Amino acid sequence: MQLGDRIVTLMAALVLVLQIAMVAQRWISIHIRIFAAQSFFLAAIAATIAWFNHAPHIFVAAVLTIVVKVILVPVIFERLIERMKIHEEIEPLLNVPISLVISGGLTLVGYVIAESFYRPEEPGLGHNALAVAISLFLIGFFNMINRRKALTQVLALLSLENGLFLAAISLTYGMPLIVELGVFFDVLVAAMVLGILIYRIRETFASMDVSRLRKLRG
Amino acid sequence: MMERALERLIESAAQLLLLLALAPLVTGVIRTLKARLQSRRGPGILQPYRDLRKLFGKGMVIPETTSWIFSATPWVVFFSTILAGLMIPMVAADAPLGLFGGVLAVIYLLGLGRFFLALAGLDSGSSFGGLGSSREMTISALAEPAMMLAIFTVAIGAGSTGLTEIAGAAIGQTWRFLAPAQMFAFAALALVLIAETGRIPVDNQDTHLELTMIHEAMILEFSGPYLALLEWAASIKQLVLMTLLINCFWPFGLQPTWFGFGALQGVAWLLAKLLFLSCAIVLIESVNAKMRLFRVPELLAVAFTLGSLALVSTFLF
Repeated sequence: MQLGDRIVTLMAALVLVLQIAMVAQRWISIHIRIFAAQSFFLAAIAATIAWFNHAPHIFVAAVLTIVVKVILVPVIFERLIERMKIHEEIEPLLNVPISLVISGGLTLVGYVIAESFYRPEEPGLGHNALAVAISLFLIGFFNMINRRKALTQVLALLSLENGLFLAAISLTYGMPLIVELGVFFDVLVAAMVLGILIYRIRETFASMDVSRLRKLRG
Repeated sequence: MMERALERLIESAAQLLLLLALAPLVTGVIRTLKARLQSRRGPGILQPYRDLRKLFGKGMVIPETTSWIFSATPWVVFFSTILAGLMIPMVAADAPLGLFGGVLAVIYLLGLGRFFLALAGLDSGSSFGGLGSSREMTISALAEPAMMLAIFTVAIGAGSTGLTEIAGAAIGQTWRFLAPAQMFAFAALALVLIAETGRIPVDNQDTHLELTMIHEAMILEFSGPYLALLEWAASIKQLVLMTLLINCFWPFGLQPTWFGFGALQGVAWLLAKLLFLSCAIVLIESVNAKMRLFRVPELLAVAFTLGSLALVSTFLF
């Protein structure tokens, strides 16, 4: 239990660092790779929880995370980038140092919120992971607001979803398998649909900048 | 009482020798490893010693426009760096001059050296010197808070800002560095190390290209023995920061005291860890391109955020 808790805490910290790295990242392709790495560590957390709690169905969730979020979604996005020939940098609305400080503040908020869920008499595996999950969630939201381009907003949405997944496994030790399956299918479909949507936005407006989507077109 | 003072004297002398002798070697090893990684032969690991000897034997040109600051700077920089080096634990957790001050004193001694270096850059009146000083100050103003936050994280764990206490608390807790707070603090301090030693994403030690140099621009007007002192001080500062990072976060093999057979073991561990850290630095330098100057604040903002996360998570985890 002690060891499991330590491993989960360590991995959760790495996931948080990667989330903050995403805020600071300027290149879309590296952004996608960071997302893949973050999902990989998430899968590792799931596997650790499955191992130490003897809950084999979480292993399935871990494997699905690897297949969908570490392999499929990044591949879909890499192809999209290649097809659209995007080479320009991500332009956040706020500059990077301010964004980083804000994400740091949001992490603090995450910890404060998670403290109220913590019950010392019942030391579950990875209650620290909940704090990280809430921080991921908040920083993901912030990242969505802070970005102009549709593709990076979708990536922020997916990292936000990573936060939800982390919260789910650290609080409940895994939802029923059928729910997990639904969620992963959802993510995959969302990535594909949003990929097509982004492509269409690009085709119609000659840009992915969502601030240009002001006029209705028939 | 007298005996303790004598022991302190021996410790200080030993650490002084180690600092003076080891610092150029670390620079040489890093240069050689970097050359090998780029499929060059490189000048050999003893080249910094040869450079120093040659520079000390040369004459000096002091610009006519300069004031006393120009001549004082090499001495101030050299001795403040050495003093800082004697206040950190190297082989043993017990820092020889640890009783004069903790980590804040070390940071500000290094800051004193940097202040004089920046003044000397301005003093010569050349535009490059002023440019280097301005850049150096911009970077250090951002790096210093990040460094403080990272060190405070470690200091909270030890309950003291004294480096002897910090290193003493670290002994025996071999796997402590896997705790999230320690990892954040380590990452923050590693970024600061890269910025402060003028390594590649921030500065380039090997260039004299006017657009990019920072540290080299400040010492452009120095020559001969003064230049040797400054180069030596720069490599000692690098060694001091690397040792600080190593001994705060990877306390393996750190000895409680300087005396006895353990000291040899301590030196061996120190060398091994320095070599490992040098390899890491070489890798970072080789796979990264130098950042644009206006991007450097972003890197240091990352360090600052990591440092504050580290501080926060010591209280909450």
